[in-house]
Amino acid sequence: MKEATAKRIADDLLRPLLNTSWRFFLLVAILGAIVLTGASAWMYQVWNGFGESGKRWPVFWGFYITNFVFWIGISHAGTLISAILRLVNAGWRRPVTRCAEVITAFALMIGAMFPIIHLGRPWLFFWLMPYPNQRRIWPNFRSPLVWDFFAISTYLTGSVLFLVLPMIPDFALVRDKTTGVRRKFYGTLALGWQGTTKQWHRLESAMQIMAIAIIPVAVSVHTIVSFDFSMAPVPGWHSTIFGPYFVAGAIFSGIAALIIAMAGLRKFLHLEDYLHPVHFANLGKLLLMMSLLWTYFVFAERLTTWYGNGTSEMNVFWVTQTGSYSPLYWTMVICNFVIPFPILSLRRTRTVTGCVIASCSVVVGMWLERFLIVVPTLGHKYLPYSWGPYQPSKVEIMIMISTFAAMGLLYTLFAKFVPIISIWELKVGEHPFPIEAAAQVKEHAILRTNP
Amino acid sequence: MDRRDFIRLTAVTGTSVTLASCGNPEHQLIRFVPDDDLVPGVAEFKPSVCPLCRAGCGLSVRVMEADVETVRNGQSGVVKMGVAKKLEGDAKHPISRGGLCPRGQAAIQITYHPDRLTHPMKRTGARGTGEYKEVTWDEAIAELAGQLIALADARDQKSLALLARPRRSRRLELFAEFLARFGAPAPVGFELFAEDVLRRANARSFGHEQLPTFDLARAKYVIAFGADFLGTWNSPVSQNAGYGEMRQGRQVHGGSRAKFVHVEPRMSLTAASADEFVPAKPGTEGVLALGLGHIIIRNKLRSADAAGRAGAAIDGWSAGLADYTPENVEKITGVAALRIERLAHELVEFRPSVAIIGGAPLAHTNGLFNALAVNALNALLGSVGEPGGMFFTPSLQPPASGPGFSAASHPPSQAAPASAGQTQPLVASLQSSKVLLIDDANPVFASPKAWKVREALDRIPFIVSFGSFLDDTSIHADLILPDHSFLETWVDSMPESGALEAVTTVAGPAMKPLHNTRSTPDVVIELAGKLKSPVALPWKSYEEMLKAPATSHPPSQAAPASAGQASHQPPVTSHQYQEPHFDGDAAAFPFHFLPYASQAFLDGSAAHLPWLQEMPDPLTSAMWSSWIEINPRTAERLGLALGDLVDVTSSQGTLRAPIVISPGIAPDVVAMPVGQGHETFTRYASKRGVNPIEILSPLTEAETGALAWAATRVKITRAGDGDGRLIMFAGEMRENPFEGRRQEK
Amino acid sequence: MAHRWGMTVDLDRCTGCGACVTACHAENNIAVVGDAQAAKSRAMHWIRVERYWEGDFPDVRLKFRPVMCQQCDAAPCEPVCPTYASHHTEEGLNAQVYNRCIGTRYCANACPYNVRFFDFYNPQWPKPLHLQLNPDVSVREVGVMEKCTFCVQRISAAEIDAKAEKRELKDGEITPACVQSCSAKALVFGDLNDPESEVSRLSRSTRGAKLLEELGTLPKVTYLARQTQV
Ligand SMILES: Nc1nc2c(c(=O)[nH]1)N[C@H]1C(S)=C(S)[C@@H](COP(=O)(O)OP(=O)(O)OC[C@H]3O[C@@H](n4cnc5c(=O)[nH]c(N)nc54)[C@H](O)[C@@H]3O)O[C@H]1N2
Ligand code: SF4
Ligand code: SF4
Ligand code: SF4
Ligand code: SF4
Ligand code: SF4
Repeated sequence: MKEATAKRIADDLLRPLLNTSWRFFLLVAILGAIVLTGASAWMYQVWNGFGESGKRWPVFWGFYITNFVFWIGISHAGTLISAILRLVNAGWRRPVTRCAEVITAFALMIGAMFPIIHLGRPWLFFWLMPYPNQRRIWPNFRSPLVWDFFAISTYLTGSVLFLVLPMIPDFALVRDKTTGVRRKFYGTLALGWQGTTKQWHRLESAMQIMAIAIIPVAVSVHTIVSFDFSMAPVPGWHSTIFGPYFVAGAIFSGIAALIIAMAGLRKFLHLEDYLHPVHFANLGKLLLMMSLLWTYFVFAERLTTWYGNGTSEMNVFWVTQTGSYSPLYWTMVICNFVIPFPILSLRRTRTVTGCVIASCSVVVGMWLERFLIVVPTLGHKYLPYSWGPYQPSKVEIMIMISTFAAMGLLYTLFAKFVPIISIWELKVGEHPFPIEAAAQVKEHAILRTNP
Repeated sequence: MDRRDFIRLTAVTGTSVTLASCGNPEHQLIRFVPDDDLVPGVAEFKPSVCPLCRAGCGLSVRVMEADVETVRNGQSGVVKMGVAKKLEGDAKHPISRGGLCPRGQAAIQITYHPDRLTHPMKRTGARGTGEYKEVTWDEAIAELAGQLIALADARDQKSLALLARPRRSRRLELFAEFLARFGAPAPVGFELFAEDVLRRANARSFGHEQLPTFDLARAKYVIAFGADFLGTWNSPVSQNAGYGEMRQGRQVHGGSRAKFVHVEPRMSLTAASADEFVPAKPGTEGVLALGLGHIIIRNKLRSADAAGRAGAAIDGWSAGLADYTPENVEKITGVAALRIERLAHELVEFRPSVAIIGGAPLAHTNGLFNALAVNALNALLGSVGEPGGMFFTPSLQPPASGPGFSAASHPPSQAAPASAGQTQPLVASLQSSKVLLIDDANPVFASPKAWKVREALDRIPFIVSFGSFLDDTSIHADLILPDHSFLETWVDSMPESGALEAVTTVAGPAMKPLHNTRSTPDVVIELAGKLKSPVALPWKSYEEMLKAPATSHPPSQAAPASAGQASHQPPVTSHQYQEPHFDGDAAAFPFHFLPYASQAFLDGSAAHLPWLQEMPDPLTSAMWSSWIEINPRTAERLGLALGDLVDVTSSQGTLRAPIVISPGIAPDVVAMPVGQGHETFTRYASKRGVNPIEILSPLTEAETGALAWAATRVKITRAGDGDGRLIMFAGEMRENPFEGRRQEK
Repeated sequence: MAHRWGMTVDLDRCTGCGACVTACHAENNIAVVGDAQAAKSRAMHWIRVERYWEGDFPDVRLKFRPVMCQQCDAAPCEPVCPTYASHHTEEGLNAQVYNRCIGTRYCANACPYNVRFFDFYNPQWPKPLHLQLNPDVSVREVGVMEKCTFCVQRISAAEIDAKAEKRELKDGEITPACVQSCSAKALVFGDLNDPESEVSRLSRSTRGAKLLEELGTLPKVTYLARQTQV
């Protein structure tokens, strides 16, 4: 193991910013091409008509809303977790927070695009917003879609602040270590950071306030997203459990996404010294807990449906349990419980690889879960004459793939321009942290606090 | 550059930009001075007649101002004119009574059809290729006149034939008059669902060669044998109105709701409304009727004598129908003896009761027998001419009796020898003709392949079509003289049934013609005058004919129904039961094949109307498709799921169609709607689905010679998985599909 | 007193003929989507005649049930609409303002009756089919929701006429296109606030029930049960 001093930390973590290999350009080119394809697929849909999507009577929501809920769920990886860990002052959080928070920002941006992509007349999307206009018509504040607008814009603003505030000292660091254009660029971003005590103090209290404020926002965002469904008198949607169920699912998929992102950074940016197996193991335990919680919610949801035995609810129930959507349903159960549970329960398999396998499985499972909430229900509402299936169109699949590419692209670019691990926080932490942390943190639960 | 130059320059630039942006030629059209006097935005209502079936529903056409692209004196432009916007049932019309059927609602699309023929055309390519060139009306009429003059010169006037849809209207009278004076045979009527067997039976039983009218509004008990009287048969709109009264209308007024029993091997739209569905074996409906009669006579519920003439038409009637004991009838029809007894008692108990027969039971080889048996039952029940029973709409004097007519000029619907469904008259007249005029008939589509109508057409040297569309038949025409649409011209109708009083409807044009078309009757009148030895018709125009004083045709005053028709009464001959014959033996062809008039397209003549293509079929919810209905057990046995393709094979050929699983069809019957499968019939119907008529065997009703279109047997083989050609609107067919599924297991 | 428009559907009279379906297309400029789009379930039938099979051959029954917008008093499609495109009028109708609709399709999900239809493409009227378009009814463009309006254009026209003639509306003066074309007279339309109107009288029938009444949507369409004569 290398000797890790403050300088060492800075060098390791600034390396990606200062050196650029051809691999970076290749990756950006590939991801960028996929994103452009998705964008043109969307333009194609706008130009030709919304019929280019797979939507049909009566399944008016499909892939786009699935992806909307999915990405908003993924966004719960970062800011929420990092805020909790900050508040409980979990020392091991330090290398994790930034790469987690950035997931939130990007996932939210991507997620927030979907309600617009999904509009029949996307050129009028701003009618969702309250703004003074000639028509003197405000949006309907009773509509959960308007709540979505407020919830997501608040969460996005909050989490971008939460991400950017602790980046300021690092920008200052980069500014001080570079010259020329870079220096100018990072100098602007550093907002005149000098590292005075007053500045440090302000930063700390700002972060403390943000951490407290962002948690209810995060929880409310996915609760509100769940209201998109539970506010409509639709069998399978009209459920009181949906708020916490969605939040749990969101955190669940968010942690999985975070684990995958961390593993990627660790491998590609050679951050093995900073992102330790113990980080994965701890996040793995969190993932395990969320898996159990999610499974409990799913069980409770099905049990009450079955027990209540309402005709229309049971129709949706059977369609997912034994009917046409059952292959997807049982795949979801396998992905969200059967695979992650043993892997994450056993210390022997709770390795980096194990956690990544479990996380990939959870991401797939949670995507399916979102799909299974949206589609089978809409296809099987009250009057069976009006039932119908749904198949995504090529345009929808293309746009969905491109959003995953967009996430990769944004992440790659971010890691290129911003130290993906908060340098100053590592330095502030117990000093020889990267080396000794492993030993120190190993036996501690996530609630370990520093004296 | 001074100011002036600048303006000039910008003007030039501006003009060229304007011209470039006027890619759409409609912006360059001239505005003609309107010659209609309409207030913009204010609707006017004008009368008309629905042309789509023989019911002759009276219309009220909503007319409003619109911009119409048109050609005047070779200059295209735009003119404001009154155009039809919506068809509504005329509330004061005794048949439509304010309502319409879906076909009537869609009839407006005939006028505005994008594939309507807009001008006279002469064939340029080979027959059937649809290659035509535009000609002027003068050229077109001269060409036709030349053909007729050639016939006359060769003293071969008999080789002129006119094929028309049998409708009671003065249009046919005009044609008949022209043909008679020219020396050609009477017009030949052709329609698939012509119901001539019933007319013949009514002539035998009651002395009226006419379709009956039912007083459903006052009936207490209705038993129908195969007649789809709420959907497509006879006069659906008036029958629906009567049906509504019979269900709830009377309850409102303190009377009781009637019972309705339907006898049919497949639950049709009409059977779906019945209180009791009695699936009898195909072709045995007459036996069931006589079984009911047997019990009524045996139990002395009514006197056998009451049937009079109608009873005398049935062999063994006076002996109390000894052969038709419930047990025997059960064996033949498959309807339980006890049920027959109960139904017979109910029929007498709940009088006035009435029996209706129509459709498939008449399209067996023993169709006439079935009709006579039901007629006799009606007579026994005392329902003929009584309130709540069956009537014959009094008609005006038949055209034949007018002055100056040859006997040959009967409207074909009444002229038995030239009637529909017969190989002999249709193909014979085609074979013997050298010039064929076709008016609103599509025999290439609506006759079995075995009749070889198309081949017969190929041998005719000169074919003229008056149709507004290129269809399976008119695509073989050498000359096309497109008619106005019914909204653009004078129309009339004298429906033979549907009202208790005589009805004659005459209406003027609801709007000006959109295209360079001409009223066919007027073309015939003009043609008559253009011949070398002109045929003198008594009218200068169709309008004048319709407005002609009542000497030859008293308008809307009914002559007593029997008066004009007494001479048609044939002597009473009694009929023995004949088993229905089927084409194909039961071992090789295990299923009865039941083609039926589709609610959307009737016999296929409305298949070109997009609203009807997209209207979900009431029973299956299918749109834009052909399908074959089979029983769920049959489907299970053959391993078939909804939409899977099957080959339907008769002795005459094979069709491939997707299946619809229908719990309402007998396991040994498969049914298929008629209407799709046109080779040519506009962008909406061409090459869409398959035509069940093609594979019908040419069996005929034994006595009348009418096509026995329900007498073919078929076999079914799986041809593959569904390929999306079956388009359904509905998702599930049961209200609680999962419960149903669990029960089935 | 304000009007409250309602309808009754007598299932005992309805024969499933489908005239109402075509009449609604004719009156309301509903586009024909064509076979390819119909195959994707994009056909728009503001009123549909549902049919349900019961039992098995030969003891089989078929039920017809015309379903159009139920003009719910507590319409679930209204609160969810972010732009008030789906909203309640003073006369209790659920109005659909095409201009304000941005195509979220949320209302269609919330509508328990699945009677809302979406314009997936711009409608096509191959000339001269466009001449049939009813000038009293807007033609919808791609991306908006549409549904049965109770033929609001006919209601407004009658109201304007009555006002111009300074008189009250008569019962039966307004007939939506489907009601008008129904030859079996299964459909009756009128003012529910007028206790003497035929629709009020029929709505009070013991045969009457609302579709999915248990959801609390308070529909203004009453279904009169089919009866069986034994
Ligand atoms: N060629 C040409 N184009 C123009 C203009 C022009 O002068 N010439 N003028 C421009 C101007 S200034 C304007 S304001 C626009 C106007 O353009 P539009 O807004 O299209 O105006 P209209 O055609 O008057 O009305 C639109 C539709 O509203 C329907 N309607 C009426 N009342 C109601 C109602 O209560 N509810 C609903 N849902 N529909 C209703 C009518 O039947 C009609 O079909 O056109 C612009 N475009
Ligand atoms: S029954 Fe229908 S198709 Fe026949 S005339 Fe009447 S409206 Fe026209
Ligand atoms: S028009 Fe009347 S009878 Fe026909 S389906 Fe509609 S409601 Fe039923
Ligand atoms: S039926 Fe549906 S669309 Fe109509 S008011 Fe009720 S919820 Fe809205
Ligand atoms: S689709 Fe239109 S009417 Fe429906 S909720 Fe969205 S904006 Fe409102
Ligand atoms: S009331 Fe008007 S809009 Fe509604 S279904 Fe009937 S015809 Fe269509």
